[in-house]
Amino acid sequence: MVFSSLTFLFKFLPLAFGAYYLTPARWKNLTLLLVSLVFYSWGEVKYFPIMLSVILVNYGAGLLLGRLKQKGSRRLVLAVSVVFSVGFLAFFKYSNFLLENINLLFGTSLPMLEVTKNLPLGISFYTFQIMTYTIDVYFGKAQAEKSLIDFGAFVVLFPQLIAGPIVKYTDISAELKKRSITLDKIQEGIALFILGLGSKVLLANNVGKLWTDVESIGFQNISTPLAWLALVAYTLQIYFDFSGYSLMAIGMGRAMGFTFPQNFNYPYISKSVREFWKRWHMTLSGWFQEYLYIPLGGSRVSPGRSYFNLLVVWACTGLWHGASWNFVLWGLYFFVLICCERLFLKKFLDKRPVLGHLYGVAAILIGWSLFAVVDLGQLVTFWSRLFTPCSNGQDYLFYLRNYGIVLVLGCVFSLPILNRIRDRHPTVCKWLALPFLSLVLVLSVAYLVDETYNPFLYFRF
Amino acid sequence: MKLIKKYCLLWLFAAFILFFAVADLFVPDREFSEMENRYLEQRPKFSLSKLLNNEYTPKYEKFVNDQFVGRDGWITLKSVCESALGKIENNGIVYGKDHYLFESYPSTNDDRIQKNIGFVNEFLSTLSPDTKATVALIPNSYAILQDLVPVGLQNVDQRSYIPEILSQIQGADTLDLTPVMDAAAASARERSAQREANQEETLAYYRTDHHWTTYGAYEGYRAFVESRGLKAVTLEELEDKLLYVPGFYGSYYNKCKLFSAVPDTIWVYDIPFSSMTINGEKKDSLHDPDKWNTHDKHAAFLWGNNGLTIIQSQNNLNHQEGKTSRVLVVKDSYGNSFSPFLTYSYDEVWVVDLRDVAKMSDIMSQAQFDDLLILYNFMNFASDTNIPKLNY
Repeated sequence: MVFSSLTFLFKFLPLAFGAYYLTPARWKNLTLLLVSLVFYSWGEVKYFPIMLSVILVNYGAGLLLGRLKQKGSRRLVLAVSVVFSVGFLAFFKYSNFLLENINLLFGTSLPMLEVTKNLPLGISFYTFQIMTYTIDVYFGKAQAEKSLIDFGAFVVLFPQLIAGPIVKYTDISAELKKRSITLDKIQEGIALFILGLGSKVLLANNVGKLWTDVESIGFQNISTPLAWLALVAYTLQIYFDFSGYSLMAIGMGRAMGFTFPQNFNYPYISKSVREFWKRWHMTLSGWFQEYLYIPLGGSRVSPGRSYFNLLVVWACTGLWHGASWNFVLWGLYFFVLICCERLFLKKFLDKRPVLGHLYGVAAILIGWSLFAVVDLGQLVTFWSRLFTPCSNGQDYLFYLRNYGIVLVLGCVFSLPILNRIRDRHPTVCKWLALPFLSLVLVLSVAYLVDETYNPFLYFRF
Repeated sequence: MKLIKKYCLLWLFAAFILFFAVADLFVPDREFSEMENRYLEQRPKFSLSKLLNNEYTPKYEKFVNDQFVGRDGWITLKSVCESALGKIENNGIVYGKDHYLFESYPSTNDDRIQKNIGFVNEFLSTLSPDTKATVALIPNSYAILQDLVPVGLQNVDQRSYIPEILSQIQGADTLDLTPVMDAAAASARERSAQREANQEETLAYYRTDHHWTTYGAYEGYRAFVESRGLKAVTLEELEDKLLYVPGFYGSYYNKCKLFSAVPDTIWVYDIPFSSMTINGEKKDSLHDPDKWNTHDKHAAFLWGNNGLTIIQSQNNLNHQEGKTSRVLVVKDSYGNSFSPFLTYSYDEVWVVDLRDVAKMSDIMSQAQFDDLLILYNFMNFASDTNIPKLNY
């Protein structure tokens, strides 16, 4: 069940939070674990054993690492647990991709695996989360968790289970043991949740339909203005969808007494790709930085090696988003841009902020075209529409009229304009907050009742 | 008091969620939605195997949505909000000028069309040489009322697609109803402009429904019988039989639920007949009289989509003594308002809807037909999976 559904809002939410608040403090993690397992199993009950085994293996590994002193055996334990966790991810996410490419390369016709047709819900997120624990315990950055309940609750915590943010164990290990739940926090959490819900239901779903429409018309049949309009729509959709989920997660976490890390910070105002990745899905880029780039040596190595490290990180970042060549291409695209920025572009753009913004927006838009169009042949068609002027009647007029206001709203809300107004007129905004949030909530419910387009975009993740 | 004021959002949110969560438990489930003209999802039966096969939870979520307290009100609220956002589309329906609703139809299933052409040709090759067959395709409203469609809407070009399909038909005359419907739409406008105060407006297609109107169907009838060299009844001759059924919200409305939609008025001619049977059962009216008072008014025509309907009458203007002329119409729901007019040009009118037919060859062996008409609207021909039944 996704957060943006009536079942979640009016069945799961009151029951789960009711149970959570009524449970005495020392049993709260158990309640959390149980309701989270219900939440997870609701989506696809048959993958439940996989998650359970991953929890048990890493829990055991943590305990062992806490006890063992010998370097060799500690390494072995870490290796086993990482291979086990990543193994499931790799098997489900990449085995068919691998088979496809083997078939393509050698002309074989190995059959695709049926079991891996659907990814277990949120596997990319929880695998990464769980690895932070074992790795940190190995390096002594975290204490081994003795309570299976607390550890289980950390892994399956339903707010961030299926679409992030990727919460490191050390982010919430203290709060797992002791956290305060106050009315202030609950109210803040509700506000964040409503904003996230509105982002997803009112903005993302509303503009996203434009991209889906254009896909069904076929890229070969659209005009250049419509191609750009669709790309802008996709850009807004993926931002509001993803950041909306994160906001809902952070809000629910807050209402439970947890402090989850921020995941998005107005990425579309970035003046470089490097900056974009410091503002976009911050917990993922943080993860790759901490658990891949730095262990590889980071930038404290020879320049050649450091670029190689970057290449590895970006190829993995691409692949993490889906098992398909376009995602690899998307990762490598950012690798190339970041290298250029390092070598010369940054110095040049730093002195020219307007140019920097233009470059940033262009780089992000082109990047999303790589991300959105999975088929490479289709991508060529789409790019030919984008970059060679092509008129096809006035097709864009219909879409401009239908989506114009929503696109403008999307652009406005993707910039920190409202924050600035709030900082300048704090009292007015305080009064407006309640009616605004109420309106967003009520309208979101109305859109969910008459749900005509409410996709879940992260089934590939 | 201070707590209430300070945590206003918290209390309101909790009250809102709890109110609907609890109300949902007590408000009885509805079976049918008049507004959407469809059956609503009922509480699914729980079973472990369904849960394991991932069949239970999607059904349950759909059930929660369909039975949500005040569903119709929420839908209207969304529609109002969409209008405020300047949206001219919802759920695949676009809002045209003059309160017209149209379908967004960006692509079509070429595969299915090719298959259907093949099935029709196969059927035509088995006909006796005494039967003169015609294949007619009706364009849908957006293809005819182009000036009312929102500028820039990318829909399939039926004007070029229909002739392309018809050119592949072998063993039958073909009738592209596009020019006929163009003329019908133009004369409908003229008639509406010149109408008297007590007369209803004339339209070729409904505003809120995907069908052609009774007037549109009449013009289709006239074009067909004239193409067969037969005399057609005139609208003037039928004028005293015309009845109006107002307040019709059709299928396009059911999909988009536009709060400001303007209802259509259905025309129905009270055409005399001597016998009317549906699947062998005698009926005492051509149309289902009860349905005129329900939401789904169009379903009244010819009692809906039934396998075999036979109408006999004394209306035939082309009647020849000692001979019973007979026409067979294979049709989709566009044929329901159309078929009664044929009684003025044939002694017996046989109407077949393949959705409800087991063996077409049985029907073909029951009688000799002078004329045979295969009549589909474009979208249905492009999507219908019942056409292979022609050859059963």
